[in-house]
Amino acid sequence: MVDDIKRKLNRRNLIKASGVAGITAFAGCISTSDDDSGDGDGGEGSDGSDSGGDESGPYSIGMVDSLTGSLSAFGERNQRGKDLALGRVNELGINGQDLDIIVEDSGSENQGGISAAQKLVNQDSVPFLIGAVGSGVSIAIYESVIQETDVVQLSQNSTGLNLTDFPGLLRMSPTGRAQSLALANIIADDGYDSVALTYVNNDFGQSLTDAFVDAWDGEIAYNSAHDQEQSSYSSVMSEMNNSGADAWLFITYQAEFTTMVNEAFSSGYEAQFYGADSAQGSGVLEGTPEGSMEGMKITLPSAPIEQENYQAFASAFEEEYGQEPTSWAAYAYDCVINAALAIQAADEFTGAALQETVREVSRPSGEQVSTFEDAHAILADGGGASDVDYQGVSGPIDFDENGDPVGFLQVVTVEDHEYVDAGFIEG
Amino acid sequence: MSVLELVANGLIFSSILVLGSIGLSLIYSIANFANFAHGDTMTVGAYSALVTFGAVGGLGGSVLGLPYGFFVALLVGAAMAAVVAIVTEKVVYESLDIGSIGLLITSIGIAFIYRGLIQIGFGADFTRFDIVALRPIEWLIPYGIRVTHHDVAIVISAAVLVGGLHVLLQYTDLGRKMRAMADNPDLARISGIRTKRITLWTWVIGAGLAGAGGVFLGLFNQLAPRMGFNLLLLIFAAVILGGIGSIYGAMLGGFLIGMISQLTPVLEMVGIPIGIEYSNAIAFVIMVVVLLVRPTGIAGEAT
Repeated sequence: MVDDIKRKLNRRNLIKASGVAGITAFAGCISTSDDDSGDGDGGEGSDGSDSGGDESGPYSIGMVDSLTGSLSAFGERNQRGKDLALGRVNELGINGQDLDIIVEDSGSENQGGISAAQKLVNQDSVPFLIGAVGSGVSIAIYESVIQETDVVQLSQNSTGLNLTDFPGLLRMSPTGRAQSLALANIIADDGYDSVALTYVNNDFGQSLTDAFVDAWDGEIAYNSAHDQEQSSYSSVMSEMNNSGADAWLFITYQAEFTTMVNEAFSSGYEAQFYGADSAQGSGVLEGTPEGSMEGMKITLPSAPIEQENYQAFASAFEEEYGQEPTSWAAYAYDCVINAALAIQAADEFTGAALQETVREVSRPSGEQVSTFEDAHAILADGGGASDVDYQGVSGPIDFDENGDPVGFLQVVTVEDHEYVDAGFIEG
Repeated sequence: MSVLELVANGLIFSSILVLGSIGLSLIYSIANFANFAHGDTMTVGAYSALVTFGAVGGLGGSVLGLPYGFFVALLVGAAMAAVVAIVTEKVVYESLDIGSIGLLITSIGIAFIYRGLIQIGFGADFTRFDIVALRPIEWLIPYGIRVTHHDVAIVISAAVLVGGLHVLLQYTDLGRKMRAMADNPDLARISGIRTKRITLWTWVIGAGLAGAGGVFLGLFNQLAPRMGFNLLLLIFAAVILGGIGSIYGAMLGGFLIGMISQLTPVLEMVGIPIGIEYSNAIAFVIMVVVLLVRPTGIAGEAT
């Protein structure tokens, strides 16, 4: 009896304790990204040097990177790309001066990113900030530190769709939306005017689908979400078949897609399949019967690995680090080159002046150049920002009005149950 | 899209659900707690069959597109699920004296352990039985029914297992004792039934059926460490709809829930704009409505 009471008490305490723990855990999730910080005097250029060959010291810009924390693998790749680019830039210099990048760690978290950016902008007075990796961190930095100033922010690795809502926040890695646009174009080019599409019921699936629907001119015969990890998708497959569309688009993950392909196969449905990169992988090939998705087309975000400047970048990278570069290193590399060109083309080393040039040096019009050396030569010859169109190793860049680059995508098709390269496209 | 096609899909899915539901209900009626590890017991069965099938191979001939070796694997899968359940019962549940809520939470922990071990052994990725996938049966297509021989095999096997259970419960000594114990364990013990032994047999039958259901789920879909757990919610819905503790109720509940979840497209065909992503929600709404009318479930007995 006494034991019983004690046990009850213990259980009650346990429940209380777990409740408190739960509340604390949730409280930690509340973001404080809108707290006011920074008085916005960074980048006014009071201490910046003029561009006319002033020898008073290097141009200092900032970089917020994930050196530690959950995204530190990206941070490491970024640092390699950055160091490689910095070496290239400082071989020639900018107006006779060196470029210096002050790197601060975000810890892969919003608060760490904000502190790092505040230090760079307010204490080091950098007019140009490369950062950050995580999309949430990039936006937190922009809202808390950058927005009210004229400092240029260029994210090296963020792909989240909502960065598009901040036109002042530039990024080098293309948004997931680029894939939707590319898919819409590919399906239209293949001659289909009606498409049936199904997407995974989460933010990723929803936003890619919305972007596809915006870009697609033809009819959408079927458009429906499916939940993740269901034991059967046969009703999805029969509805898609019933829609009458001959082009089926899958914006979903590997396991879900594998189930769907098997069910379409065992139901004898025939259609031309299309998919986002998330529906591609060796597991899908192993888990589906031969011939069940013959001719399927998939878009993958990719660096233009066939281009000469990428190959030069890749071999320099391999020489330096003994391994192949990733796209993430290429994005960081292009961030540094783009920043260096913006500085060289600007009249003075201030945020306001760099805002004018940062987009211009890497978009038309202007002569297309694919290396820093060539671009440097044009600018050193007296050319302006609009005389140069730097083509990055990660893609053509060409920031649009929302600060997003043109996406560079690889198209693969399924032939004899293998993924085969079918070329590269801009999306 | 014909309704017949959806009914056929529903029948196949129901067969798998029924196998899972019976075990859950059986164990509830005898051991008196909701076993959250039941879904992962299905996974254990599926992966045991995967290993067995890989080891024994096809064994020559085949029935309904399934090699003989698969049926051997099916039996081993069911047996392994039963063995794992018995060991768990002996080592964990039997020694615990913490009431049904405590056992419920424990069983969630057991579920994580099963899943973790499978993930350590086979990785988190999905995989499939090495059996050639089939195209739909030709002569049924004109009727709008698109099923493969594998699907037919699943339905027939499930029917055989369910029929066998019915015979066992109604016409054997063990079945009578099980029913007696489900009705009133104290009375059963007083009248000389060795209730511990019956409890073990219940675990064997319940987990064995779950293991077989897991093997069929793997054949129907694919094998993944979360496969059973993902089905568990629907199995609970089926068991509660049928009347928890009632074996025939679980059969009926499993059949109904499977049908409802696969027949959701009919709603849009008759003009109700509810998409198939809500099929689970619809199944649960129907469950709640039935419970409001009949609080003990369809086949549950009022106490």
